[in-house]
Parts: sequence; structure tokens; C-alpha cells
Amino acid sequence: MEKNEKQKRDCFILPFGPQHPASGHFRAEIECVGEEVIGLSVYPGYLHRGIEKLMEYRTHEQNAMLVPRICVLEPYSWGLGYANVAEKLVEIEAPERAKFIRTIMVELGRILSHITWAGIASYVLGFESAHRIFWGGREKILRLNEIVSGGRIYLCHSVPGGVRRNFPKGFEREISEVLDYIERRLDFYDDLFFNNTVVIERTKGIGVLDAKKAMELGVTGPNLRACGVKSDVRKDEPYDAYPKADFKIVTKREGDSYARILCRRGEITESISIIRQLLGEMPKGKIRDRLPREIPKGNAYFCLEAARGEGCFYMVGNGTDKPYRVKVRGPSFLHALTAFPYLAKGSQIADIPAIYWSLDPCPSDMDR
Amino acid sequence: MDDEIILSLKSKFPKSVLTASLKNGKISLSAKKEEFHKVLSWLKGAGFNHLSDITCVDYIDEEEFEVIYHLWSHAKKRRADVRVRVSRKSPSIKSISDLWPWAQVHERESHELFGINFEGNPDLSPLFLENWKEIPPLRKDFDAREFVRREFYGEK
Repeated sequence: MEKNEKQKRDCFILPFGPQHPASGHFRAEIECVGEEVIGLSVYPGYLHRGIEKLMEYRTHEQNAMLVPRICVLEPYSWGLGYANVAEKLVEIEAPERAKFIRTIMVELGRILSHITWAGIASYVLGFESAHRIFWGGREKILRLNEIVSGGRIYLCHSVPGGVRRNFPKGFEREISEVLDYIERRLDFYDDLFFNNTVVIERTKGIGVLDAKKAMELGVTGPNLRACGVKSDVRKDEPYDAYPKADFKIVTKREGDSYARILCRRGEITESISIIRQLLGEMPKGKIRDRLPREIPKGNAYFCLEAARGEGCFYMVGNGTDKPYRVKVRGPSFLHALTAFPYLAKGSQIADIPAIYWSLDPCPSDMDR
Repeated sequence: MDDEIILSLKSKFPKSVLTASLKNGKISLSAKKEEFHKVLSWLKGAGFNHLSDITCVDYIDEEEFEVIYHLWSHAKKRRADVRVRVSRKSPSIKSISDLWPWAQVHERESHELFGINFEGNPDLSPLFLENWKEIPPLRKDFDAREFVRREFYGEK
């Protein structure tokens, strides 16, 4: 947007972030004239840990512990992605039971991520009590994580070749109970947040993205589906136990912030249904195949549907026991670096948190 | 090798496409540095409209970088990747931000972490690192452990 003389004179810069609740560890500079935003520049890097470089020094076994750290809000997806790309490189498939366990856990992770996100989104929209209520609901799934792997957030459960631990006795029943609990609570969450008049007023018609523009900006995942594009890696290139589950892709047509919120709400329901179907068909058998210690020469590319969009791994092996190069594509990288500045331009200052959090970026998968 | 996309690519760019292979429906191409832009442009027109990622790999023994463009077609539901080799001495390659605007940030990342110059990219300023004075950190000759010992523990 070309600035005219008056805009140049009256323009001031408002910092957004990098302190935590407003933006995650991510900084943006909002250029405004009065209340209107005329430009926005983004400065990531506050969570850059060089995970891609660190992986080059570590074996599969060690990397399985490191990879979940890519994103704190949905660690399981990244562990699953690493396991799959390593298996793809040696052309081994994990045992059937391991695939089911992984898929159930990753879908639990998706529900966890969406509930956590709803908590943060309600916090930045001014509902502090809703934030506590959502994060209280999240606790139930964290307990399941702890039972199955010992870790509440970073499970480090999915490893190349399968999973580290089997479901303990009676665990299927515990998952069902938690799912029933979440399903009961969803009606309450709807009243509290998703159908709340104030939320609708603050997000409807804000940050509108049409399908063509979204594809031009490289948007993926729920943000793209909110524009009416039926794109989901779980359906397009099914991995693990997804071919066994019957689910629909949640899409909305409006493409605004509220559509993105509703898309995630719909995905919680779909994830519950996926887990229930898979729990009913759990095969018996072993849970882990040992992969050869050496990573063979070659390369593999694997994509997964993380809670925020398309997450990809590219791995190159050179015959040693450590990967020669691993590249991680975090979905938030483009959401925050291209889609957010585009949507922010021309909006009001008060809409910035609504736009930012409706895109649900995770700074740690942005910076890696 | 009777995939129609590979066949038409080979007839259209007989000199610029060096190798082409097909594995589980995924097309893998390697192209000449001078003409890879045309190949990508053609692929975009053929339906591969989503640039999933840009990866760089440092093949230090071969004195080359490999830049890999990962594509996805929303309509055809298939993947393709295009590999381009760049000399390690003066790494420079044409930018594709005119084809995919968001390639700009991917290229910015590769520029910062590998030191590859993307000609025609409007903004190659640092993205993640602050006051970085060493060689680009994802190059193979950068030793992260040695750097940590020197920088944070004062060891020589």
C-alpha cells in the first residue's frame, strides 16, 4: 500500500509481542494511522533452536526425543512425522497395531491442540475465565498422555519402527471415558465460546481470505479449509491407520476468522469419531520393529496433517547412523509470515489478535 | 516410465531435465540450473500449484548445494520434486518468487541458513538469527558443538 503524505506524517508503530499471551514468542510491528493498520512487518526467530542442525548430530533413537519439541502445542504430530519419514527411507512399515496406537494418540493430540488454542483465543479476545475452563478440559487428555508414556506434554512415544509403549490394560476404556467427557463438554464450550455473541461480533467478517488468495499465500490446513477448499493430507495421502477410519473433511465457505474458528470446532468432533472407530478395530500383535541402525543412502519426503496444517519432513541419509539432513516444514511458517501481514493490512488495531489467533500460528514450529 | 507428465516434460525440455523418475506416483526430476525456472513454471501450469517447501542440502564432498522444490497438486493429488545443483563456491540461483509469492520467505530462510543467493528475491534479510557473524549455520563445515563450546563456555 503506497503511503500518501498525510499517512507518512501520522503513521506510528505499535509493537505486537514478543511477550507471551498476546502473540506467542513472535514479534510484529504494526504500522497504524489512527486505528487503521496500514502495514505489518513480522520478525520471527525468538524460538529458533536450530532443531534441523541438532538432528544431524543424533541417531533415530535420540531424534525421536528431540522432534516433538518442534511444537509444544501438538508434539505428537511431529514425532509421528519423523517416525514415518524414517520408515519410508528404509521402506519398512510399522506393525499394524503401532499404526493404530499412533493414529489414536495423534488424534487425541489434535483435540488437545484445538482445545488449547480455543483457550488462548478466548484469552486474547477478553474471556479470561474461558481460558481457564478450556485449559482445565485439556488436563484430561494430558493425563492420558501421562499414562501411556510417562510424559504429559512431550510423549516421545512414536519412534521409527513403531511406538515405544503399548496401551496399558484397560486404557481403551479410559480413552472412551475421556472422549465422552469432551463430547459432553462440547455443548458447554459452544455456549461459552464458539456460539458466543461477542466472539461472533469480534470475528465475523474479520480477516476474510478467499480460496484463490489463500492458495496464493501458501495457506494449508484448517485455515485453507475455512475458505472452502477440500484439502486434507489425511485423505489425500493417507498414512498410518487413517485409511481404516471414515471421516469427513470439515470445510466452511466464508473464509473469515469465525469460519476458521468453526472449522477447528468441527474437527474436534471428527477426531472423536475417528478415535472411536479405531478403538473398535484395534488389532493385536507387536508394536515395534527394529529399524537398522544405519540410515541408508537416499532420501524420503513425508507429509502429515498437523493440527495447524501441512507439516512435512525431508530426510537424507548417507549410510551412517545419523541423518545427513532433515528439513522440517512447519505450517505456521507461512501462516504467520505471509497470511498474517496480508490479512492485517486495512484492518483495525483491535482486530489484530482475532486475526492472528484465528490463524493459530505456533511460533515454535515457525522457527524450529 | 509412461507417466504423461514426465513424457511431456521430456519432449518439452529435452536438455534441461537431466533425470526423471517415478516412485509411488511421485515425480522426481533433476533440472539444469539455467533452465529449472521454466520447468517449474510449466509444472505450475500443469496443475502443481502448491509449493510445499524449499529444501537445501549441502553436499560438501561434491562441492555442491542441492536445492529441492517440493510441489503438490491439489487437483491431481500427487507430488513432484525438482532438484537443482548449485556450485558451492558462488552459490546463486534464480528466485521463483515470481511464480509463488510465498517462495520469498522460504528462499529467505535458505539464504540465511546456507548462504545461497536467490537472484531477484526482493528481501533476503535475516529471519531467525541475530548478529550472526559465523558462516551460515546449516552448512556442513559449521560445527555446532564447537561453536557452543567456544561461544558459551569460553573454550578455545
